[in-house]
Amino acid sequence: MNGSLDCPKCRAPLTEAQVNQERLTPCPACGTELLAEVFPALFRPIAAGQDGERLLVESEASCFYHPEKKAVRPCEGCGRFLCALCDCELHGEHFCPTCLEVGKKKGKIKRLENERTLYDSVALALAVYPMLIFYFTIVTAPMALFIAVRYWNAPRSIVHRTRWRLVLAVVIAVLQLVGWAALIYYFTTLKRRHG
Amino acid sequence: MAEHEYQRLTRSKSRSLFGIVSISRSSLWVGRDHLLTIDTNGYNETYKRFYFRDIQAVILRKTTVWLVSLIVLAGCAAVCGSIAVFGGALNGVPVVSWVFGIIAACFVLAALLDLAGGPTCKFQLRTAVQTEDLSAISRVRRARKVIARLRPLLSEAQGTLTPEEIPARLRELQSARP
Repeated sequence: MNGSLDCPKCRAPLTEAQVNQERLTPCPACGTELLAEVFPALFRPIAAGQDGERLLVESEASCFYHPEKKAVRPCEGCGRFLCALCDCELHGEHFCPTCLEVGKKKGKIKRLENERTLYDSVALALAVYPMLIFYFTIVTAPMALFIAVRYWNAPRSIVHRTRWRLVLAVVIAVLQLVGWAALIYYFTTLKRRHG
Repeated sequence: MAEHEYQRLTRSKSRSLFGIVSISRSSLWVGRDHLLTIDTNGYNETYKRFYFRDIQAVILRKTTVWLVSLIVLAGCAAVCGSIAVFGGALNGVPVVSWVFGIIAACFVLAALLDLAGGPTCKFQLRTAVQTEDLSAISRVRRARKVIARLRPLLSEAQGTLTPEEIPARLRELQSARP
C-alpha cells in the first residue's frame, strides 16, 4: 500500500507543503486543516514473498510441509524444518503456520494475543449491579464469588492492572451471602418461636 | 518497583459521540517496540499493535466537533438559564429556578471543559497494510503530544528523513501512483 499520501477527508494527494510541517496546513483541495508526519517506512519498498527453493540433493534437509522444498530454518515453536514459504517471521522469531495459529488461539505467543476477557470486571459487575434489585443477589453473589475464585490467577488486562476488583467482588459477594444467611436464620428462628 | 511493559499515552476515550452513555472506550499505550490500542466494552478488551518499524505516517485532521458541541452546550445553558430566571419568577416557585439553575450551571461547566480541551481532530495512523483511525486521540493538543512522543521512537526504529529528502521521495511516490 505504498501509494501516495492522501487527505483523509477528500482523498486528494498531499504535497510536500503539507508534510512534516510544524503547524497545521490546509489541504490543497478541500482546505481542511491537517498535519501529516511521514516516516521512512512510507518510502521503503515492500519485500517480495519467497516461495521456497526446490530440493536438489537427496541428503539436504527438506521442509516438513513441502518435502520437495529445501528447509531454511527450524520452527521455534515445534522444531520442524521449514522452507522459505512456510517460514513465518514474527519480529525476529520464526514459526510454522500451525504454531502461529495455535499460539494465537491459546495465547502462547503474547504478541499475537488480540483479545482478553476481564473476569475481574465481570465479577465486580455481578456483585454490584444486582444490588439495585436486592433479591437477585441470592443468585448473583455465588456467581460473582465463583468467577472471582475461578479466575483469580487468570491474566487480567494486558496493561498493568491490580486485583482490587476481584478482592472487592469477593468482599461484596461474601457480605451479600452473609446477609442472606442471617435473613434466612432470622426468619426460621422467628417461625419456630411463634410455632 | 517493577517497570511496566506499557506506558499510557492517552486516557480512555469514548469511541462514540455519546461518551457519557457509551461504555465502549479506547486508549493508547506505548510499549518497547510498538504502539498498542485497547478497545474495551468494560468486560472484554481488544488489542491492536502497531510496530514502530511499520508505521509509515500519522495524519491529524482538525474537525469542527468541538465548535458544534460548544454551540449546543451554550444553547442548552442559555435555555435552562432563561427558564431559571424567568420561569421561576413567573410561577413564583423557587424550586424551578434552583433546578434549572443547577442544570444550566452543569451545561456551562461542560462547555468550559470542552473549550479548555481545545480543537478536536481525527487521528489516523498508516502502515503498509492499513489506515487506522485512533479514536483515543480526539484533541489536537493531545495529538501533538503523542506525535512528539512517537517521533524519537520511530526515528530509532526506522532512521530519519532529511527535510530535503522528503519532497523528492513524495514526488516519486506520486508518480508511481497508478
